[in-house]
Amino acid sequence: MNCEVCQLKELEVEHFEIREVLRCILHTIVFHRALGLVRPKDIDLELFNITYVQCGDVELEKKIEEKIDEFISWVEKHPNKKSQICLSFYEMKNKHYSWFNKNERLYWEQWFVNLHVTHPKAHSGKSHNSKPMVDPEETGYEDRGVRREALEVSLRDVLFQIIKFVNEKKDHVPPINEKAICFPCEITIPSFVVVDFFAAFVQNYICIASFLFMKFFL
Amino acid sequence: MASSHSTHTEAAKMEQIITEFFPKSLQIILESRSPFMSSRNYSGEQMVSSSPSSSSSSPSSVRPRDKWFNLALRECPAALDLWRQSYLEPMIVDVILVQRPPGGWGPVNYSPQKEIVRSVSSKDPCPFYWNYDQEELGCEVKNEKIVERWVVQYEAGKSRDTGSGSRRHSNTLQICYKKSILLLRSLYATVRLLPAYKIFHDLNSSGQIPSYTLTHRVSSFLEPFTRKEDSEMQRFVFTPVDTSCGRLCLSVLYRSSLSDVSSESSTPMSSSQFIPDYVGSPLAEPLKRLPSLPVSHGSPSSLPFSRRHSWSYDLNKASPPSFCFSPSPTHLEKHGSISNPSSCRFGPMSLPPHPPELPSVLKKNTSFDEYYPSPNHTPSPSPSPPIYIPGSHLSKPHSRSESAPVSIPAVKHISSPLFSSKQNLPPSSPPLKATRSGNLKTDKSTGLVHAGATVEKLLSPGKGDMRKYSSLRTSNSSPQISFSRASSRPESFDKKDYQSYPLEPGGLLPAKKSQDAAVCALVDMLQKAPPLCQDFSGSVDLPPDSTSKMWSLQECNAISGAPVGPQANASGVASSGLVASKTTADAFEELQGYKEMMKDLLLSQAGRSNTSANWPPMSKPTSSSATGR
Repeated sequence: MNCEVCQLKELEVEHFEIREVLRCILHTIVFHRALGLVRPKDIDLELFNITYVQCGDVELEKKIEEKIDEFISWVEKHPNKKSQICLSFYEMKNKHYSWFNKNERLYWEQWFVNLHVTHPKAHSGKSHNSKPMVDPEETGYEDRGVRREALEVSLRDVLFQIIKFVNEKKDHVPPINEKAICFPCEITIPSFVVVDFFAAFVQNYICIASFLFMKFFL
Repeated sequence: MASSHSTHTEAAKMEQIITEFFPKSLQIILESRSPFMSSRNYSGEQMVSSSPSSSSSSPSSVRPRDKWFNLALRECPAALDLWRQSYLEPMIVDVILVQRPPGGWGPVNYSPQKEIVRSVSSKDPCPFYWNYDQEELGCEVKNEKIVERWVVQYEAGKSRDTGSGSRRHSNTLQICYKKSILLLRSLYATVRLLPAYKIFHDLNSSGQIPSYTLTHRVSSFLEPFTRKEDSEMQRFVFTPVDTSCGRLCLSVLYRSSLSDVSSESSTPMSSSQFIPDYVGSPLAEPLKRLPSLPVSHGSPSSLPFSRRHSWSYDLNKASPPSFCFSPSPTHLEKHGSISNPSSCRFGPMSLPPHPPELPSVLKKNTSFDEYYPSPNHTPSPSPSPPIYIPGSHLSKPHSRSESAPVSIPAVKHISSPLFSSKQNLPPSSPPLKATRSGNLKTDKSTGLVHAGATVEKLLSPGKGDMRKYSSLRTSNSSPQISFSRASSRPESFDKKDYQSYPLEPGGLLPAKKSQDAAVCALVDMLQKAPPLCQDFSGSVDLPPDSTSKMWSLQECNAISGAPVGPQANASGVASSGLVASKTTADAFEELQGYKEMMKDLLLSQAGRSNTSANWPPMSKPTSSSATGR
């Protein structure tokens, strides 16, 4: 099965913008992968002039919020880094031949959200106001406004990128499961990426090993 | 066409999908373009409770369209019935921005029922439908602009095989349905990302009366664009969905920037929309208003996507007044003289940069009544006109009297340091002070020389004096009016005249204004110099060359060592050159009358023995002047 990958354009965001930007992007992606019966919800961003769509699935919403929280706390520990959030869609395949793994995830699509979290203090060229990043309301400075506008345009570009990708790549999308609103997905944030891949690798390895073991000795 | 049987052929199912695709996409588009088909207020919890199966539902059924393409939209009869053409015909949805000339864009036009009724009623016979706005605004067609053109069409393949129900086809059917769902999902998201959505959003969210609206036109034929229009449009083509016998195509032409179309409308409306009127209005005071106005008037939406543009604009460069005043012009246009609290609130912000306008602005602060008509009176913002135009202008004080309750506290506040500190006057009650200046004002305006009588009349309405008063001059100026009018005087005097008077010795300001100010200053000065009263009592009868007399008074002040502050001196000097003699003489007399009245009042208050001790020297001249007239 081919796994389509979409690398979204990198966005340069400040700390306080992370949540909205991620919400907007992740929900937009998920909406395009929630092919069950949905009643969409329009959400207006507060920081930007953008309205995005949520599929209205509460569980999904919760999941996204949790992951955003995780990501933000990760960013606080690793400031000024480019980071990647991966939203992966997979299918569950029941493996009856395996004793260890009842289910295996078959990833059929991965979205990489690339964020460059900047800190106004560190970027003298960007914002010499050196205002603390926590008060977006008070920073009425011009370069901030300009930067914000630029980010809004970029964010809109990213959303269009998502839409275009969805439009162009349709063949790999699995058949619709009428029971679920959305295809199963997982969101991985930087600190867990390695672990997850490692875990997946180990799982696969064990799976293969057990399969071989069974084939040889039974 | 599509039967509701479970075993109908693949082709029929496919046809059904294609057929349903049209109204669904139309509904998605209109839901976020037509102001009254919005789902924005629709809560997501209201899932379709009873949803018949998609495959078995006939296209004509009303209910189950939510189930189609797994996309539950608001139940929208207008959209559902809008498209009943064959899927072989293209469906063209034009989204039109209709701009209304500034004037009466009544909210009456915004009745959703109207639109729905018309759309439904006109559904069948016509191949295309005009939205109600189109009809109603037919006379103003010039202000229409197509901002988006959606084209949904089914391109039939060369060979339409309708019969074969193989397994491959059933697979194709599922895939086709899935892809059409995906296509509609992306349509749903795209509709909200295009610039026109901003207009729709503003239309829905703003409580103001917009100067434009969005309307739509659904037709099955392409009305070609002009070359210019075409060049302004951008195209977004959704990837077609291949069906077994053709493909579903969806594309949109849209204006990437609506700045030219809705430079006003793209911002939160009223701010920039009404400013031109505001500026151009003869009522506007160019001096006072908004230095930054041209900027905000210029191009509010230089960026294509900027729903919040005015917000960020304010953030960036606008000065507070331009923001604060922006709502008020609406009120100015609509309700000319109705008081506007919001503008009251913003008034002070415009004060600092414009000292020459201060007196009028100060008064405007108190109520919007005064704020609004004042530009007309700017040349003579101070209330002296009644001197020269006796009868006709007496209505003006009426309007000002409305501001009395507001301005009196200001008087109280301001007068307390000035009067009670510099003079030995007891901390007299504020109404008294207001009355004092009020009397002065009244007498001056009516040209009365007999101040004492007026004063008495005002405080204790004497019958004979009343008659005399009315017979002497303008009969209809009621005491209350003069009271309230003058109540604003000390305010402007204290705040402005002290400062700006020395700046205008050459008579830069109209004489009338400076007269009033001078009188106030003079009166104040005189009141602070009790010993003067002896000299002054004799000077009432002097001829109008009061300028020299004032100088003498000033000297007397200095000589007698009366507690006259430096400000009083300065203002006195400045005023002396400008004051018309008659007015000054009047003021003197008024002052005396007032003093007498004051004295009576104070004496009547037994509790103030120490302060009343200062008054006996004053009582003599005032009483003499009052009786000697």
